[in-house]
Amino acid sequence: MTILDRKLRRDLYRAKGLLAAIIMILGLGVSSYVANLSLYFNLELSRRSYYAECRMADFWIEIEKLPRSEVERLRQVQGVGDLHSRIVFPVTVDLNSVSRPLSGRIVSMPPNPKPVINNLVLKSGGYFTEGRKNEVIISHGFAESRNIRPGDRIHVLLNDRQQQLVVVGTAISSEFVFARAPGTMIPDKTSFVILYVKEQFAEEASNFDGATNQLVGQLTSQHRDKAGVVISQLEQRLERFGEATSTLLANHESHLQLASDLRGLRTINLIVPTVFLAVAALILDVLMMRLAQQQRTVIGTLKAIGYSNGQVVRHFLKYGVAVGLLGGIFGAAFGYWLAGFMLDMFRQFYEFSTIVNRPYLSIVGACILLSVVMAVAGTLRGVNQVMRLRPAEAMRPRVPDTAGRIFLERWPAVWKQLGFRWHMVIRGLFRHRLRVFTGVFSAMMGSALIVQTIQLSDSFDELIEFTYDRMLVSDFDLVFKDEVDYGGYLEVKRMTGVDYAEPILTVGCTFSNGNHRKQGAITGILPTARLTLPRDAQGNAVAIPENGLVLTRRLSKLLHVRTGDRVTVVPLIGERKPLHLPVQLIVESLVGTGAYADFNYLNGLMDEEHSLNSVQAEVDQSPGILDEFYVALKSTPKLQGFSALREQKSQLLVLLQPLEIVNTLLILFAGLLFCGSIVTSSLISLAERRQEIATFRVMGYHPRQIGGIFLRESLIVNCIGILLGLPLGYWFSYFINIFVATDIMRLPFVFSTTILSKAILLGFIFTMIAYIPVYRAVQNLDWLDALNTKE
Amino acid sequence: MNDPNPILRLREISKIYHMGDVDVPVLRDVDLAILEGQITVIVGPSGSGKSTLLNLIGGLDRPSQGQIFFRDQEVNTYSERQLTEYRREKIGFIFQFYNLVPTLTATENVVVATEIARNPMPPETALELVHLEDRSDHFPSQLSGGEQQRVAIARAIAKRPDLLLCDEPTGALDLETGRLVLRALVNLNQRLKTTILIITHNVAIAEIADRLVRLGSGTIAEDRPNESQISPEEVTW
Repeated sequence: MTILDRKLRRDLYRAKGLLAAIIMILGLGVSSYVANLSLYFNLELSRRSYYAECRMADFWIEIEKLPRSEVERLRQVQGVGDLHSRIVFPVTVDLNSVSRPLSGRIVSMPPNPKPVINNLVLKSGGYFTEGRKNEVIISHGFAESRNIRPGDRIHVLLNDRQQQLVVVGTAISSEFVFARAPGTMIPDKTSFVILYVKEQFAEEASNFDGATNQLVGQLTSQHRDKAGVVISQLEQRLERFGEATSTLLANHESHLQLASDLRGLRTINLIVPTVFLAVAALILDVLMMRLAQQQRTVIGTLKAIGYSNGQVVRHFLKYGVAVGLLGGIFGAAFGYWLAGFMLDMFRQFYEFSTIVNRPYLSIVGACILLSVVMAVAGTLRGVNQVMRLRPAEAMRPRVPDTAGRIFLERWPAVWKQLGFRWHMVIRGLFRHRLRVFTGVFSAMMGSALIVQTIQLSDSFDELIEFTYDRMLVSDFDLVFKDEVDYGGYLEVKRMTGVDYAEPILTVGCTFSNGNHRKQGAITGILPTARLTLPRDAQGNAVAIPENGLVLTRRLSKLLHVRTGDRVTVVPLIGERKPLHLPVQLIVESLVGTGAYADFNYLNGLMDEEHSLNSVQAEVDQSPGILDEFYVALKSTPKLQGFSALREQKSQLLVLLQPLEIVNTLLILFAGLLFCGSIVTSSLISLAERRQEIATFRVMGYHPRQIGGIFLRESLIVNCIGILLGLPLGYWFSYFINIFVATDIMRLPFVFSTTILSKAILLGFIFTMIAYIPVYRAVQNLDWLDALNTKE
Repeated sequence: MNDPNPILRLREISKIYHMGDVDVPVLRDVDLAILEGQITVIVGPSGSGKSTLLNLIGGLDRPSQGQIFFRDQEVNTYSERQLTEYRREKIGFIFQFYNLVPTLTATENVVVATEIARNPMPPETALELVHLEDRSDHFPSQLSGGEQQRVAIARAIAKRPDLLLCDEPTGALDLETGRLVLRALVNLNQRLKTTILIITHNVAIAEIADRLVRLGSGTIAEDRPNESQISPEEVTW
């Protein structure tokens, strides 16, 4: 270690407080990069290996009933790499430990383990045995949450009668990474189960002797990018067996959700770390300029002794390198921990076969390098000063800072109203413009970050409130297996505990307008409906028109239609004749891409009358009555699905709790931006003005009065920064809002003055917290020493 | 004994500072020779151009006109790199306010110079020469003014410079401490034959010199050998 390195080490140690703040800010920036990128790569790696392990399908085709003998012919279609047929249908599950019925999905599997498309990864127990027909492998997450083990028995409602299934194993599969029961917004391991049964059992249970209703397939590698051509050929061949509904991997719900989350990780969160690195570089710039000034004589002496400019410059550049390295290492370590924490959060939503928080040396290396580059950039101006300082000039006392009149002094009426302390503060601010810019920039970014964090949190609250308290206000949605007549509705209405009920007819269909196509469903509701309340952009409930469609905004955008236009609708049931329907209204919906229509109008379009396939109900929630309602429900033969909306809401709130932790962390990060910047610039300013402060002390000023000068400076700088940060925060929020929108879910863009008030209040609190160490430094200043020391 | 040779010669040296639109001449046509092995003291009031002269001799600054020869080399034509080399190998500096690095100990402050010198003496030896061997691990803040100045002297001589330049070496010291510092300088001159140039406004110091130069208003007012040289212990002010 050379003597200058030893000096560097001690200089760094002496400025440890200030440097710690800069290292923290740098480190937080680096940690966000490391965490986001590691998380992204780990999840992407897990996804790829999981997809490969399960032989994830490239496409899914739903068909009403297809003879299995046709499958071999379809396999010959050019571009089809492999094709697997299976039977898939929804069921209601009756668990002894749960009073209410649960939703499930039967998926047929070969009786012996084979590497089929969308294969399973067994987590406990084993594959089917040859003995029993009624063996089932259930989704692992459900089994864990409901404490079900191999050997246990569960009951499902099949063919209008209860059937017992014997659990032989638990498994996961890549097509259900994001497993969501129909009609729910969030993956719910506890009330939605995938039941893998033997092919023969599925055929018997659904009267599908020798037939199938779902094809899953993989494309050959040459046809990966021509999926549409292959699918339309398959659809053509399937035409005579009824309308086929195809889904490509890119549109598959589980994949879509996962892909959008991964995309989000890769890009959106890069705003925060960039801000942190920029702030750290700016603060370091202020510190290095001060250091160059403070070490003027040392620099001059070194040059006088015979050190070359290069040697001295290298020595000062090493400050930046050291700070960058420390910030980078701290950031990489904290980022790795943060990646693990976020990975745990993702585990609650997703199931992967393996998901490991693997450190990536390349990411860590690149981030540390970035940290060093930013820190060195922060030292450049200071180093330039060091370089330009001529030894002879360094030997002379420093020319006092220029002080002159500022523009405010042109208005003596205003200027004279301000006391001398304000004069000092304001002139000081004008003198140190870059330092003021750094402070304003940090406060602006901190304030924008606070606004964006609060806004995001409010948006999630609004999403839940809008969906569960204003749009879907029923307690339970009961979905029937097929369309039922009005009697089915009346039956539900008569059940114990049901206070009120409404019939719903949902028709799955393909919407199109020219080249724009989207699969979805039309929900037919009564004109007097009060349990489903579509709302317009202003949040007002709209009346469903007697004819025509009410489109959700997302669907109208995807189809490029406006009110008054017509869309083509091909229903997936009945005669499947294309219908050209007028768009009467556009409504807001934060979940899914669907449309509404009048219940009777939709019935008319389907050549039906009072036909329905689900009922929404308000149910008395008192325990005894609710239990009786559940008992009645479990023995309702036509019931296919069941969702408890209140329960969904509370589950969603629980799932969003980790988000609150992240939000709190982000607010604290913002606090660090405020405090780090204020504390460093105030302490530097204090060091520069030691003699000035000492003189004030000699004259009889209290530390409180002197501290007040620094507080005034911080308040002016931060107020400007906070106010500038408010519109910036608004824009951050706006873009994030657009960015996170998917077909599955959108966040409402809510922005109220409360958000702004909270940001201003928090900014003020952080400013006051940052003042504490500054005040203590004023209090502890050895002013007698300061008076006698040459700067 | 032969007359000593000049180690440094100044020929018609002028230095003008440009302060905005005003030119301020600080030195005018200065001719001066510093003789090898001697102690030369340049005295003069504030503003007479002493520090500027020292900076020019030391290669910290360049003259506006004239030539500076160190032995046979014309220093004023040196590039920045050559000037650095010149300061590193030929010149030792001692400043009025010591200019020690506050975060380094006495020894380490000496190492700052020895680390880059071609043929330095061990830092401990340099400190012994100024009788500070027992204070070697102390930081500047733990040393008195005189001790700090002696560390600065040790730092300057440790690289065995041909010429030691001292800018008001006793300016910040009381008489007692000042005498100690002067004694250290005289010892060096006698034991190591180091050429020493001292600039000061304190005329009393000139009494220890072999030669006295008086500077006034940027020109040499007087340049004569000191016939009545006294020991540092006899100096008083």
